[in-house]
Amino acid sequence: MWSYLLKRLLQGILTVWFIATATFFAMHNVPGDPLSDERVMTAAIRANLEAKYGLDQPLMTQYLIYLRNISRGDFGISFTQENREVNDIIREHFPVSATLGILAVLFATVGGVLWGALTALYRNRLPDVLIMFLVILGISVPSFVVAALSQLSLVNLNDFFGRTILPVAGWGTVSHMLVPAMVLGLGTMAYLTRLMRSSMLEIVSSDYVRTAKSKGLPPERIFTRHQLRNAILPVVTVLGPSIAAITTGGFVVELVFAIPGLGRYFVEAVQQLDYTVIMGTTVFYGAFLVFMVILVDVLYVFIDPRVELN
Amino acid sequence: MSAAVADTKNASTLLEVENLAVEFDTYGGTVQAVRGVNFTVQAGKTLAIVGESGCGKSVTVQSMMGLIPMPPGRITAGSARLRGQEILGRTLVDGREIRGSQIGMIFQDPMTSLNPTMTIGKQIAEPLQVHRGYSAKKAFARAIELLEMSKIPEAAKRASQYPFEFSGGMLQRAMIAMAISCKPSILIADEPTTALDVTIQAQILDLLQDLQKETGMAIVLITHDLGVVARMADEVAVMYAGKIVEHGSVDDVFYRSAHPYTLGLKLAMPNNDPSRQHTLQPIEGSPPDLFSPPLGCGYCARCPYAMQLCCSKHPQEFVMSGAHYSRCWLHHAAALSKPEELYFSATQGDQ
Repeated sequence: MWSYLLKRLLQGILTVWFIATATFFAMHNVPGDPLSDERVMTAAIRANLEAKYGLDQPLMTQYLIYLRNISRGDFGISFTQENREVNDIIREHFPVSATLGILAVLFATVGGVLWGALTALYRNRLPDVLIMFLVILGISVPSFVVAALSQLSLVNLNDFFGRTILPVAGWGTVSHMLVPAMVLGLGTMAYLTRLMRSSMLEIVSSDYVRTAKSKGLPPERIFTRHQLRNAILPVVTVLGPSIAAITTGGFVVELVFAIPGLGRYFVEAVQQLDYTVIMGTTVFYGAFLVFMVILVDVLYVFIDPRVELN
Repeated sequence: MSAAVADTKNASTLLEVENLAVEFDTYGGTVQAVRGVNFTVQAGKTLAIVGESGCGKSVTVQSMMGLIPMPPGRITAGSARLRGQEILGRTLVDGREIRGSQIGMIFQDPMTSLNPTMTIGKQIAEPLQVHRGYSAKKAFARAIELLEMSKIPEAAKRASQYPFEFSGGMLQRAMIAMAISCKPSILIADEPTTALDVTIQAQILDLLQDLQKETGMAIVLITHDLGVVARMADEVAVMYAGKIVEHGSVDDVFYRSAHPYTLGLKLAMPNNDPSRQHTLQPIEGSPPDLFSPPLGCGYCARCPYAMQLCCSKHPQEFVMSGAHYSRCWLHHAAALSKPEELYFSATQGDQ
């Protein structure tokens, strides 16, 4: 167990190093230069920055300086925002993104498992047809459309009642989080519903469910103890990539709902060629995702007794 | 009701299945899997139902246990009575659960018949908790005893293991322990040894016999292995194309075979007696299409002795003696040929 964890952690660090390296060289191949805008800074500031990051040095030296800095956890200072360290930006805005992401993952997983099980139990009957229609919508409509439409619905809703039932945008309270989390989790929930449905259908006709029936167990017990637990395994398998999909999808939703998450900074930084912020957030997101995937793999052991970590 | 069924209807009759018919709707049409089956199960005795794949033997017992998915399955006629009480379509008899409590069942493939994510002990404990109201702890303790009864070594340790940690034979023992947990009066064993290798088969059959002696339960054994039948059964029902074609005591069916299909099965059975070496004779052809079952005897197309009448009119039960009967027109007084391989009752002329 522990040696497995150590191995996975080392592999994770290797992955993060690869992400960092790829981002570094990609950024250096992007045309343009954040220091070339004469209006922003004086020659003195420019010289200071060049010295700090070794920007007047050869590429490999810059790369080594960069690696040394991030291994110390120092992502540098923003090139465009005054007096802000990348670490501060992450510390301030990542919790917002994470809260939104966790809510979305919860919503997607719980919804996917329940809807999937329901459609399988009502196979080819009205609830199944209805839910599967919505699932196909959920998979095919991109999140920015859903986000805009749900915002419009919120406006109409609040209009109808003459007061704010749910805020249309912004951040702060639970009521701010609900709709964006649902929009963010929708695509993944639809995907998980489909997965859960097919997995459940397979298990409904399995030998051990037949055995459970022959034992005279009540249907609720068969459902919870024999069907759900086994049907959920494929869902857990894709949970790691799903978390990745939701977190990266967060940028759009944060933008539409004016949520002060990390995603907005990431997008803005790319537009403004804010090198340190781009590289910092990319590496941070990369590390976060790698960690989540490892976590899901370890979680799997507790759900499927057949899986051993080695 | 025929005389044969009436004869056996006495105090020791536990289960009585009458005229059971089951159909399945498929894309190709309606399959008449079971077409009017009668049999009784006596307390403490073993009834073997023999027949080739697709003859309806598993469907017969599964419909009794309510395991037929409906739809597409459908019980179109018949009844099954446990101690005189109807069980088809019901879950309770006299306020007691039937399945898992009064009738236990084990299946063909133990590897897939147990829940892979639940410990063996918990799975055995489940019926006790549900039907007997045991606490989880008490039921688990009883599960360990049941595993010991099923001759699983280190039962206490084994009870908290998962199915993937067991071998096939061990899993079938665990299945048996589970099926007998609530002391059922009938154990249905649907090809319990088909998926196991031969040495393990013998052990499982021994175990079933030992448990039968200990608990006095009746066993309904579904199999296509005549060797298993000879070893285990008191009574035998030979099924073909959804009907029972011959029924009788194990000696009747083996030594006084009165149906050409039974004869065909015996000739197709390998034996290791060097003095009786013979080449295996397969039964030519294949079973009839049950989408549109034949008008007459289901075996008529493959039967070497078939007469004109056989394919147009279904034979009734011709009683040989007591509970031994055969559904074959050759036993009719008017039948001209009387093949010498076949057993004929002295009183057959009466019919």
